[in-house]
Amino acid sequence: MTAHDLVFVIVGLVTAVSAILVVTSRHLMHAALYLALTLTGIGGVFLVLGAGFIALVQVVVYVGAVAVLFLFGLMLTRAPIGREALDSQNRGLGLAVAGALFVLLAALIIPAFGGESTAEVTGPTIEAIGIAIFADWVLPFEVLSMLLLAALIGAILLARREAGESGTEAEVTRIEMGEALADEPDRHEAVGTSAPAGELGAGGGR
Amino acid sequence: MAIDWLAIAPEVALTVTALLVLAADLALRGDAKQLVNPLAMIGTVVAIVFAVVLWAEAPRVAFEGQYVVDSFAVAFKLLFLGTLLAILAISARYFAEGRYFQGEYYFLLLTAFIGMLLMPSARDLLVLFIALETVSVPAFVMVGMRKRDLYSSEAALKFFLIGVLSAALMLFGMSMVYGFTGTTRLEGIAQALAGDAGSVPLLLGSVMLVIVGFGFKISAVPFHFWAPDTYAGSPLPVAAMLAVASKAAGFAGLLTIAFVAFEPVADVWAPVLGVLAILTMTLGNLVALQQRDLIRLLAYSSIAQAGYMLIPFGLARPGAEVVNQAAVRAVLFYLIAYAVMNVGAFAVAIGVNRRTGERSIRDYAGLGTRSPLLALAMTVFLLSLGGAPLTVGLWAKFAIIEAVAVEVTVFGLVMASFLVVNSVIAFFYYLRVIREIWFEPAAAEAPRLQPALSLSVVVVVLMVGTILLGVLPGLVADPTVVTTFATGG
Repeated sequence: MTAHDLVFVIVGLVTAVSAILVVTSRHLMHAALYLALTLTGIGGVFLVLGAGFIALVQVVVYVGAVAVLFLFGLMLTRAPIGREALDSQNRGLGLAVAGALFVLLAALIIPAFGGESTAEVTGPTIEAIGIAIFADWVLPFEVLSMLLLAALIGAILLARREAGESGTEAEVTRIEMGEALADEPDRHEAVGTSAPAGELGAGGGR
Repeated sequence: MAIDWLAIAPEVALTVTALLVLAADLALRGDAKQLVNPLAMIGTVVAIVFAVVLWAEAPRVAFEGQYVVDSFAVAFKLLFLGTLLAILAISARYFAEGRYFQGEYYFLLLTAFIGMLLMPSARDLLVLFIALETVSVPAFVMVGMRKRDLYSSEAALKFFLIGVLSAALMLFGMSMVYGFTGTTRLEGIAQALAGDAGSVPLLLGSVMLVIVGFGFKISAVPFHFWAPDTYAGSPLPVAAMLAVASKAAGFAGLLTIAFVAFEPVADVWAPVLGVLAILTMTLGNLVALQQRDLIRLLAYSSIAQAGYMLIPFGLARPGAEVVNQAAVRAVLFYLIAYAVMNVGAFAVAIGVNRRTGERSIRDYAGLGTRSPLLALAMTVFLLSLGGAPLTVGLWAKFAIIEAVAVEVTVFGLVMASFLVVNSVIAFFYYLRVIREIWFEPAAAEAPRLQPALSLSVVVVVLMVGTILLGVLPGLVADPTVVTTFATGG
């Protein structure tokens, strides 16, 4: 066992243990922090594989952005932060599903890749990655920028409190489901008066 | 590296239009905001002009084979842009009167269509995935736009959760395929699969995962749960977009990935998709029979139609050029027919829904006296969806039967017989709506309908199209429209 293998085992163990702690922890805040540790561990795995840049991106994006977003989300919403309400009483089912998935993936992945010999890995240089993104893959890269812009606009649209000229007139939909509605009121009357029922939001522009 | 700008000109035109729409919405105030709709239309027409130019220039290979513009791709691009034009026209009044977020809506709509235009040209897993997400993400938001309506929020949430799940499954499958074949280029994957790599169980499982990801987009059983609730809750033009354009985009992606990348293992996925086709059309039609809401009925009918369109996939066989080409052609023709008649049906539903909020099938009672134009159009569209003679719907089904007949197999015949039986079932619920329109009296105080001019134009054009293509299907089914895939070098 080389030093390289030793580092890999340590990093892998840290990642796996903290991943288990994410789901067993009874404290929501602790679970979020263990998640951050798991994601850092995955960054470590990339580092061991010689992919330094990807390890950096992994830490910046997943630990720096996603995990911190989780923490902010927990603190800004009125989610139960303490020791309560974390057990959904589905431990058995969760264990069975996770175990089955593990066995299935192991049974599929180990025969498929198990025979591959581990070669000395040297990741591509950051320069090569940059050229790949901005020259070879420029089309998907630019499309992604439109996608992110759309996601940004969409998030604003959904989060914005409706005020002024936009969105104040939305009428509630009346959908007839199946055969359930036997004694249905006269629709033509009902529709005219249904608009106030659509005032679901607490705020609004009125 | 020189960029082939002409090859991506339609997409660039839509991108520029989308950004202009966003800026215009910011600059304009009050009623002037409605100008963003004609602006979007002009941009779409420009994109159509570029697509027509590309038709003569095809095939073109750009971005080192990631992006191919062949006649297959251009046909899809024209289909998408035509649909976009129709949806813009039927959106105008709906969004102006609803006073939703107009500028944002048109921006998101155009962005979704950029993804669709990319889809049939993509020859690389990464481009394909990003194109698919560019269709999905704006759609999640557009569905949830009627924020005061709980149905709309429910629709958006369901659509989002199932969409994200299927994207994750597909991405996992794609990463496995890349791990085995060492390439994301579709032709490279085909070569690797044709070699000895094509027999590992995990690889075949990954292939299925990728195909399943598209099953969500085309709302095939068992990934169809979102469709009825999402169509019913979203703004009606968005429902039309999801039912037609988004589904066509899913089929475009599925066609390229199935018949370019995974063609050597067709004997694995073809039976699966064939069985899914049978399940999808049967379940869609049987549940549609029980619907009382017209939009939900159209949703289940669109699930059933997706089932019909999956039949040609069930016919595919590795190496059988003639069969596979016939299958691709059948799906393409069916999609064009489906777009014409289904956008039309949604347009009529929007016209009826306007100001009255009517949307259940019983509200259509006496439509023949309230608005003869809409009533006649709806009749034509529903008959065509059912596959009646003298409408394009008949030829669409005929195209699928024709593909089955290229090389008769037992499985093909089974699927074709399910198609016939299901067409008969479908007529029950289509005719029920038609009976309601013409033979039931209108409610006493039901107002006469005044559809917007742009909506009327769309309805008339699509109605004429449905009948014209029904009489002369050769207009689009011209066999010279070759549907072989240009290779990306």
